[in-house]
Amino acid sequence: MQLNVQGVLPEFLTDRPGIRSSGVWCADLTAKPAEHISVQAVSGAGKTTFVHILYGLRQTYAGSVKWGEQTLSDADPEKLARIRSTGLSIVFQDLRLFPGLTAWENIEVKRSLTGIVTAEQAVAWLERLGLADRRNALAATLSYGERQRVAIVRALAQSFNWLIMDEPFSHLDHTNRENAIVLIKEVVQQNNAGLILADLNANNYFSYTQTWLM
Amino acid sequence: MSSTTQHTLLRRLLLLPGSRIRSVLALLALGVGTALLLLSISTWWNFNALVNGSNRAGSTKAIVVVGKNITDYNMASVSGNSFSTGEIAYLRSAPEVLDVGEIISAGFPVYAMMGGQITMATDLPLASVPDRFLDTIPDAWTWQPGDRNLPVLLSTQFLDIYNYVFAPGQGLPQLSRTAVKSIALKMQVGGQHGQVLTAHVAGFSDDIGAVLAPESFIAYGNKTFQVAPISGPSQLVLRVKDPSAASFISYLQQHGYTVNPGNLKWSRIRSIVEATTTITGLFALLLMGISGLVLVLFIQLTVSRSYEALILLGQLGYSSSFLRRFMLRRFMPPVTVAMAVALLIAVAVQVAASQTVLSGSLPLPALPGWPVWLAFAICYAMILILVSRSLRRALK
Repeated sequence: MQLNVQGVLPEFLTDRPGIRSSGVWCADLTAKPAEHISVQAVSGAGKTTFVHILYGLRQTYAGSVKWGEQTLSDADPEKLARIRSTGLSIVFQDLRLFPGLTAWENIEVKRSLTGIVTAEQAVAWLERLGLADRRNALAATLSYGERQRVAIVRALAQSFNWLIMDEPFSHLDHTNRENAIVLIKEVVQQNNAGLILADLNANNYFSYTQTWLM
Repeated sequence: MSSTTQHTLLRRLLLLPGSRIRSVLALLALGVGTALLLLSISTWWNFNALVNGSNRAGSTKAIVVVGKNITDYNMASVSGNSFSTGEIAYLRSAPEVLDVGEIISAGFPVYAMMGGQITMATDLPLASVPDRFLDTIPDAWTWQPGDRNLPVLLSTQFLDIYNYVFAPGQGLPQLSRTAVKSIALKMQVGGQHGQVLTAHVAGFSDDIGAVLAPESFIAYGNKTFQVAPISGPSQLVLRVKDPSAASFISYLQQHGYTVNPGNLKWSRIRSIVEATTTITGLFALLLMGISGLVLVLFIQLTVSRSYEALILLGQLGYSSSFLRRFMLRRFMPPVTVAMAVALLIAVAVQVAASQTVLSGSLPLPALPGWPVWLAFAICYAMILILVSRSLRRALK
C-alpha cells in the first residue's frame, strides 16, 4: 500500500513558523510500496511525533495521512487495530515493552495476534540477535540494548506492508546493529514491504529510495 | 503457539492479582441475592398453585359454599336468609367468581334406618347441587321416578363425626369409606305415606356439608312431598378462581355472606406469604443491585489497574472488541457459577418441598414453575448486559 502525507503539521508546532520550512511538516510526500525511506531530523524537530502520526498514535494535527485508501484520521479504533496488526509494524523509540513479561513473552504477545510468524522463526531471530540466553529474562531486567533487540524481533513477528522504526539502533554496538540490519532486510524482503527509519543523522543502514529531511 | 498461551499472557497483563476478597464477596452477594429472589418467587408460585386448587379433580379452580350470616336479628326469618334471584345474579359478577350453583334442600322429611350390626335411625339433611360442582361424579349418579335405589354423596364431615364422636360413645364400630359404601340404608321419604327407597353411599364430598342426592330426586321430592314452601336456596356453591383473593373475601364480608372458615384462613395465610415473599424479593433485589454495583466497580478497578497494558496492547494491534471479549470471558464464568449455584439451590428446595408436601396429599411440581426460570433468565441477561456495558465503557 502507498503512503500519502499531505500538509501534516502537529498542533503543538503551529506557533513555531520556522519549523514549517522543513521537508516533512506541511509538505506533500508520497512513498510507493516497498520503498525505503530515511527520515532525518535533529533533536527536537518532531521526528518521533511524525512517526506517531504515521502510526496513528497522534490525532491532533492538520493535514492528512493516507495508507492505501485509508485516511488515518477517519479510521475507527477497530480499523486502526486491523491496520496495526496486519499492515504496519513499529519499533518505538522508547521501545514500549511489558516490563513484567520476559523477552520471549513480549514477542509472543505480538506474534500470537496473527500467528503468521512461527515460534521457531521468532526463536531463531532472537538467537541471531544474540538473545538466546536472555529470552526468559524479564524485560525490566534487560539492558537498553537488549530491550532494543527484543523490540526489533517483536516488530518483525507479524506480517506487514510497512515497517516503521524510530532510532532502532541507538543503543546497539556495531556487531549487533549489523546483525539486526541483515535480519530486518531479510524479513522486509520476505514481506515485500517498505520501511521508514527515523534517525538523527544520515546513515546507510539500508538502501534508501527517499530521504525526508525535517 | 496456542491461543491458550496468548490468554495466559493476557491474563497476566490484564487481570492483576489483588481485590480477590472483594470479587469473592461480590459473587457471594450475587449468588445469595439470586437464590433469595428465586426462592421467594418459587414460594409465591407454589402457594398460588396450592390455593388455586390445581389438585382438584376435573377442575383447576376452588369450590366455595356461601350462605347468609345468621344473626340474632335475622335468625327468625328463614326466607330472609335465602338467596333471591337478584342476589344470585349479582354474585355471578362478583370478583373471582366463575360459576354459581344453588344448593337445593329437600323440603320433605327423609328418615334413614340401618339394620344389622349397626342399628341406627336418623333424619337426613338431603340436598342437591348441580353435578358440575361435585368433587367427583360417581358412575351411577342418576335417579328417575320409579327407581328404588338412590345414590347419595356423604359429607366427609358427617363420616368424621360418626367415626370419632358418635361410634366410640355408642359402642358402635368405626367405618372406613369402603365399608360405608357397602352399607344399604333404608330410607323413608315423604313421611309415613311416602315412599321407601334403598340408598347407597356412592361417594364423599369435601366441600358441601350435607347428604347430596341427584338433582332429579330432590326436584321430584320437592314437587311430590313438599310440606313447606321454600323461598330460595339458603346456600350457594361457587366456583372461584382464587378463594383467598382479598377482593373476593372483601365482597363476601360487605354483603354479610359466610364462607368456610378454611377459605378465610387461606386468605390470611396468603397475606402473610405475599408480604413475606415481597419483602424477601425486595431484599434480594437490593442485594443483587449492591452486588452488581460491586461487580462493576471491581471491573472498573481491574481495568484501571491494567490501564497501561491495555494502552500498549492497543498500540500493538489488539482491538478493543477482542480485549472486551477476553475480559468478558474471564468475568462471566464465576458470575455464571454463582448464579447457577443459586438456581440449583432453588431447584433443590423445590424438589424437597414437593416431596414433603406430597406426603400431605398436596401435589406440588417437582421442578420450579416457569416464573422462576424466567426470573433467572432475566437476571442472568441483566448481569451479562451490565458486565458487558461496563467493559465497553472502560475499554473505550
